[in-house]
Amino acid sequence: MRRFLLGRLASSLVTLLLVATFVFVIVNVLPGNPGRQLLGPLAPESEVVKLNDKLGVNRPLVEQYGSSMKDLVTFDFGTSFRSGKSVVATVRPALFRSVKLASLALIITIPLGIWAGVFAARRQDKFADRAVVMAGLTTSSIPDFVTAVVLSSLFCVTWKFGHVFATPPDGSSISKQFSYLIFPALAMVVLYFGYIARMTRAGVINALQSDYVRTATMKGLSDRRVMVNHVLRNALAPTITVISTQIGYLLGAIIGVERVFNYQGIGLTITDAVKAKDIPMLQGTVVLVALVYVAAALLADLLIAYLNPRVRLGGGG
Amino acid sequence: MTTAEASPLPRGSVRDPLHMSERKRARRENWRLLVHRPSFIIGLVIVAIWSICAIFGQSFAPHDPYDFRTDFYLSPRGSFPFGTDSTGRDVFSRVLVGSRDVLIVAPIAAVIGVILGVILGMLMGYTGGWLDTVLGRIVESLLALPAILIGLLAVTTLGRGSGVVIGIVAVLFAPIVARTVRAAVMAERDLDYVTSARLRGESSWFIMFREILPNVWGPIIVELTIRIGYAIFVVATLTFLGAGPAPPSPDWGAMVADSYQNDISGGFWWTTVFPALAIASLVIAVNLIADAVQSVLEG
Repeated sequence: MRRFLLGRLASSLVTLLLVATFVFVIVNVLPGNPGRQLLGPLAPESEVVKLNDKLGVNRPLVEQYGSSMKDLVTFDFGTSFRSGKSVVATVRPALFRSVKLASLALIITIPLGIWAGVFAARRQDKFADRAVVMAGLTTSSIPDFVTAVVLSSLFCVTWKFGHVFATPPDGSSISKQFSYLIFPALAMVVLYFGYIARMTRAGVINALQSDYVRTATMKGLSDRRVMVNHVLRNALAPTITVISTQIGYLLGAIIGVERVFNYQGIGLTITDAVKAKDIPMLQGTVVLVALVYVAAALLADLLIAYLNPRVRLGGGG
Repeated sequence: MTTAEASPLPRGSVRDPLHMSERKRARRENWRLLVHRPSFIIGLVIVAIWSICAIFGQSFAPHDPYDFRTDFYLSPRGSFPFGTDSTGRDVFSRVLVGSRDVLIVAPIAAVIGVILGVILGMLMGYTGGWLDTVLGRIVESLLALPAILIGLLAVTTLGRGSGVVIGIVAVLFAPIVARTVRAAVMAERDLDYVTSARLRGESSWFIMFREILPNVWGPIIVELTIRIGYAIFVVATLTFLGAGPAPPSPDWGAMVADSYQNDISGGFWWTTVFPALAIASLVIAVNLIADAVQSVLEG
């Protein structure tokens, strides 16, 4: 178990390092002129050069790379170009709000998706199964901002169930926060429900055909016990992996949803940074999102290892 | 299961007439299976309609999509089926031609991404060893990056433009495709026809692209159709967030972006909802096609 853990941890660190490198390549190596991008085509060349010096993009590449890796290790992503505040300090409350929104979405999606997947798998190839698969495919292909726009115009404007501006006032009670967050969360549920349902369905169908399930049924276990102890325990591993890989995408998709609902999370921070061409802010945020993703993947691996001794004792995985 | 052992002749030689026809027959059979799937036909029809609108829409649109009018925010009615927007332009005509940029940019990005992914996956799967390990690590870390986020970063530093969007989508899709191709190639690598080509003294490039490639077309085609769907998703989202290719013509994502803030809360839902539904219909159609192709070629 310890070897498995250390191996996983090491590979997560490598991933983070590579992500930071990739971001570095986009910002510093590819032929762009951040100073010019920021100031626009009309600014005098001397101003552009001065700004590039300030951004540090004129230094030798090796030196730039070294300092950007140092930032990663010391967890210091510089200061926002516009506000002058530190990137981490600006992003932290926004990230917290986004995690809150994403968690609400996941709390609704995961049980719903798993339930639908099991429901479909037990009626394999019947109408109900086809309907769940088709619904999952359709909903998971619609971009989240489209769903958000439709939900917002129907439920928040026409019927006035929710709030067009979804950031709850500071210090509001949990139920009040819930009423603000539910519609943005639903837009994300629509996107992710399909993935989880289809993955669970595949896993359950696979497990239902296995010898151990047949044995369990034949030794007279109740349907429920077979399902929970034998089928789900084995079928959920790929589902957990999907959920964890989707967390990265979840933080990508949240951008559109937050934009539509004006929710002051990481997505709005990002789009504001894009509008202001605040490169340090964007750079730092991308790396922070990757950090969340890597942490989620690590957690999922541990959970799978916990559920399945074959993974944790097999070394590696 | 492949038929390498069962077939009396070595499988896969491109010039062998018997196998040419076998492959052709398989292709015809797959096509027959495809056109019998309602989801494939529905998807194809929707994509065809939007493509026709993108190309010829301007000539049969009821109004000029660029034409400003004084009667703004007309609700949907006879002469303006989707209403008019904040500057009095006809929303229906704008939606008709609004797929143009997405339908050009997204497929190009997907095709380039798949080509890159095939080359990468082929190298990883066939060569194996340290190259596979190193590329594998890079591929895995690229998967940790949300496409939208990287797209925004790239557009901000490199500038807006179709080229940047295409490039970034292609680079982010390549590793995903590479993973699929790698798995398919690994399954082929030790089959007899590859071994015999190696013993004949063929170069690695010949074996990879003339011997193995024709046998892994299935997963590649599936991946391509799926990637086109995602590319539309990503390009539409980037355009919505104001980082897509700057559109000279009306664009669905941009239409939603321009209108959702003020129009929806003012009760003028039609300026936002119709282009949004148009995006949804296109993405769903492409995914229906992808799903049908996948179940025919892999199921």
